[in-house]
Amino acid sequence: MNMLGRAEFGVSTFYAASHPNDKCGPNGLPLTPNSIKVLGRFQYLTTIEHPWLCRYIDIAKSKHERMLVVTEYYKTTLQSQLESGKYSRYHSHCLSVIDGLSYLHSKGITHHNLSTDNILLQTDTDIKLAEYGMYYMTDWGADVNFPIGLPQYMAPEIVCSGPVEIDDETEDSLQPEIGPKVDTWSLGIILLELILKRQLWRDISLPEVLQKLLNLINSEMSPLDFLANEEGFSDQLKTLSKDLLDLLRFCLTLAPSRRPTAEELKKHTIFREERQRMTPHKNGFTMCTMKLRCKDLELPSYDDEIYDPDHLSQRGMAEVYYLWQLAGGELEAVLKKAGMVKTQPPVNLLPCCGIPDGDMFGQERDKAELLDRTVVILPQEQLRNRLKDIEERAYYPLLEDEYADNSQLPTSPSSCDLTMTASLPLVIREKDVEYQFHRIILYERLLRAYPYKRPNIWKEARVDIPPLNRAHVWAALLEVEGDIENIYSSIDKETPIPTDRQIEVDIPRCHQYHELLSSPTAHAKFKRLLKAWVVSNPQYVYWQGLDSLCAPFLALNFNHEGHSFCSSLLPIACLSRFIPKYLNKFFLKDNSPIIQEYLAVFAHLIAFHDPELSNHLDGIGFIPDLYAIPWFLTMYAHVFPMHKILHLWDTLLLGNSSFPLCIGVAILYQLRDRLLSFGFNECILLFSDMPEIDIEKCVQDSIKIFCSTPKSATYRQHACKPRKQKNDDRPNVSYYSRDYNEQPQNDLSMEPIAIEELKAEKCPRISAEDMIELGEFLGAPLSRSPTKKRANSKPMIIIVDVRSADEFRKGMVQGSINIPFMTAFSPEGELCPCPAVTTLNSRRSQVIVVVGNRGRNASNFANELVRLNYSRVCVLHRGIDILKTTGLLTVAPADI
Amino acid sequence: MAGRGGAQRPNGATQGKICQFKLVLLGESAVGKSSLVLRFVKGQFHEYQESTIGAAFLTQTVCLDDTTVKFEIWDTAGQERYHSLAPMYYRGAQAAIVVYDITSQDTFGRAKTWVKELQRQASPNIVIALAGNKADLANKRMVEYEEAQAYAEENSLLFMETSAKTAMNVNDIFLAIAKKLPKSDAGNANQQRQQGVRLNNEQTQPSESGCCK
Ligand SMILES: Nc1nc2c(ncn2[C@@H]2O[C@H](COP(=O)(O)OP(=O)(O)O)[C@@H](O)[C@H]2O)c(=O)[nH]1
Ligand SMILES: [Mg+2]
Repeated sequence: MNMLGRAEFGVSTFYAASHPNDKCGPNGLPLTPNSIKVLGRFQYLTTIEHPWLCRYIDIAKSKHERMLVVTEYYKTTLQSQLESGKYSRYHSHCLSVIDGLSYLHSKGITHHNLSTDNILLQTDTDIKLAEYGMYYMTDWGADVNFPIGLPQYMAPEIVCSGPVEIDDETEDSLQPEIGPKVDTWSLGIILLELILKRQLWRDISLPEVLQKLLNLINSEMSPLDFLANEEGFSDQLKTLSKDLLDLLRFCLTLAPSRRPTAEELKKHTIFREERQRMTPHKNGFTMCTMKLRCKDLELPSYDDEIYDPDHLSQRGMAEVYYLWQLAGGELEAVLKKAGMVKTQPPVNLLPCCGIPDGDMFGQERDKAELLDRTVVILPQEQLRNRLKDIEERAYYPLLEDEYADNSQLPTSPSSCDLTMTASLPLVIREKDVEYQFHRIILYERLLRAYPYKRPNIWKEARVDIPPLNRAHVWAALLEVEGDIENIYSSIDKETPIPTDRQIEVDIPRCHQYHELLSSPTAHAKFKRLLKAWVVSNPQYVYWQGLDSLCAPFLALNFNHEGHSFCSSLLPIACLSRFIPKYLNKFFLKDNSPIIQEYLAVFAHLIAFHDPELSNHLDGIGFIPDLYAIPWFLTMYAHVFPMHKILHLWDTLLLGNSSFPLCIGVAILYQLRDRLLSFGFNECILLFSDMPEIDIEKCVQDSIKIFCSTPKSATYRQHACKPRKQKNDDRPNVSYYSRDYNEQPQNDLSMEPIAIEELKAEKCPRISAEDMIELGEFLGAPLSRSPTKKRANSKPMIIIVDVRSADEFRKGMVQGSINIPFMTAFSPEGELCPCPAVTTLNSRRSQVIVVVGNRGRNASNFANELVRLNYSRVCVLHRGIDILKTTGLLTVAPADI
Repeated sequence: MAGRGGAQRPNGATQGKICQFKLVLLGESAVGKSSLVLRFVKGQFHEYQESTIGAAFLTQTVCLDDTTVKFEIWDTAGQERYHSLAPMYYRGAQAAIVVYDITSQDTFGRAKTWVKELQRQASPNIVIALAGNKADLANKRMVEYEEAQAYAEENSLLFMETSAKTAMNVNDIFLAIAKKLPKSDAGNANQQRQQGVRLNNEQTQPSESGCCK
């Protein structure tokens, strides 16, 4: 993690080139705006982390294709040092610049923009390169209307190559043959300036600079001699050491093929000593690695002189910037204050004349479109003010506090006001800078201790997940582990496969309102991700919808800087854990048994919790098959906008594979009134375009539904199979997170049921085991079912035995009531009044377990109850027979 | 049990008939099925139309002389894999639009397969229209107008080239279908109209609201 240290945040701005209004791509659809392309390419820059490079922190898109870029920034530049005249460190600085460049080049980035005014001084000794991402993010200059790089420092081949061209088909720039060696040239010029302590070609006009460059190219002399001649510093050159002169000549080689790379320059003899003093730099934190993370651990020294009271400076840059925004920081406002938001009134930009075929003439160039290199510093006072009352120790929370009451949340200190905030609505919590501050610090510590601290992460996630940490928290919840680099990087994501066409037509239709996901960079990543999954799961196939399922993982990991090493592989790692858990076998070529079972169980769940709605929907033929397939196949990612999916999945990931069914019921709850008053057409129209759903309420409702459903009621034979048992360290999560199929099975457990049978029944079945537990027949609960018991409450269930009175008398479950099916219903279909029915009606809040013989009576009886709007009705799987071995059956007391 | 669409029937309106037809759109994915429906129903075009999973449903009414024709439109997923779901949507449909993309010969081939399947499996009187969509991309055309027209004639299909983007021929193709659909007063159409999407309650009697009143 790059700590803030003494860095400032600087914002700068430029305009992406706008497309002519009516220009369309080859598919007849509008071209991707250049601003979106830049936005996509920029994301890679946030992963660049190196001691001599300023970090790229954030990018935002403003009106009229204007981009706002936030970076690490320092006020002193090499140029200002140079101007002050007291400059002498070029030796070590030069090596740092080379080291930084060589790192950039190894990452596929050409600076192209190097000059003395974007080499910043962090301290007297340490430099930081800035603006190195401009050329990269603008697709080698193709996305902007201005040249990148000052002509004084430009390598000759740039001047010769002309502007970049763009491929009309792919909208990509045809990258000119300009390689990273242009940076070596710029470095040569800079080095020369540092030695001469003055600037070359500074105050002359652009055409003059270009003319001089052309002369240089055409000259017989070597570039260095030509310059010495022109600028009159031949004498000074003579005083230089042989090594230094050699280095200069080497850099200022005219032909790129003979000019050295930055990597080669590092090995130059002149740097022999410095090289040894430089320590190799370590990259940031990696969540999943097989390396021993403690290997390089250095214990902090408790030296009072080093002690820095500015604790915020010890936090990561991305984190501080995130908090800065939460504390009310706004880029536009900062720019406005600095007088940087001047736009021309549109009337001044109108063309003088236009001709009928649409061509315009006499349009003046908007000066604002040119590059303004001003960097405005983001004032940190507001943030520091908001955080000033935070105690010192809040920055370093203890994870192993023996005295802390473990059940209390959150674990951080100053918890009194936090618990108060924790009860506020999620949207408010997410905007609360202090609250987020505590949560982020806590999570960051826990994640560093992952996987050992997984139980704590689990526990905290049940409160909420800070958006800044979400990507990694999700990975932790999905138990992504091991050397994901090794597992996933070797997958072939390039070779064409038959699914390519489908993937290619689906990606440009997937969550395209999302700026990042609509960028070409995202499309390319998206394609690689989908292909990687298809290739690495030969047993499965690509079903439309898989794209939507991937989108949240992709969107999340796009935004995250700092953990660069594994972030590009995190989406596939998450997906590979998510699908087996929640969508086991859904992507089989023949998935219809799985989907059919899922939908049947869903229908049961609706009937269980809301018989009235279930009756109505059944009556009009509005079955889940017609609307719920996209819900489940994409885990709602196809039906909600991204911000809602993120919140929904925050909770979904804590639940087991049955939890998504409960979400479905919760959605129906919210639309209940409308659905009840609608006919078939209106119902289906309603779901063709998912209406507004309050996600926080939906999540709360789903949890309630989940907790009031016996676990066996959502049993699915196709749900995930038990995992190889390993130590399960999830705390108290059995209710939510463990799958029914993961539990040890016995004779009383649920068993696979044929799909025809499932469909014929309206109600879920309950296993004997669940019934025994909920009915408290054996005292100590086995804690298999989530239905929590309240102290001193009546049993959770009422057992309705529908066998004949005779059979009932010979062996019955204690406390059960007998309503023989044969005589239960009047010809009108009502329950015939009798004492047992009165008992039943007085206990309608309980789960009604219908028990019968082998035949269909029990399930028919249950169906009738549902028809009569009795809720929470279920049928004992395998009926009374299964109880014979349990010793629960007793003979009824003699009739009175 | 209320008949579907019964609610839309103007109370006691006697002048003019109201006919209700089930129409299904079939074709390879990304040829523009959803876009055609969106253009027809809402007059809109979304460049980044979301892909369809399973199926989507919309309705639209058109007026033909003294008859009001109400389309219940099922827009299906195009991916070959979803094929197994398709019968559930075209079962009982009185009309189908099979769509291909004029810039891709493959999608035209796929359209022919759909036509064959409909001729074999769908209701015998189904009105089938063939739509060559994305006609605005004429400079990228891979399927000649004449070729498609000849094929349509052979198989007695309605045929038009359409563009959901420019709206060309979109209303027209739906209107042409409406004209061709039988609007007899009772019987015939009434019987065809099954609850095509009802999968498991076969026992429900055909909706009494029927088609034409
Ligand atoms: N140029 C052009 N593009 C179209 C037209 N109709 C649809 N599209 C585009 O083609 C893509 C696929 O359309 P869609 O309606 O989702 O196809 P579906 O899979 O068949 O439903 C979308 O990006 C549409 O914007 C058209 O008539 N002209
Ligand atoms: Mg579609």
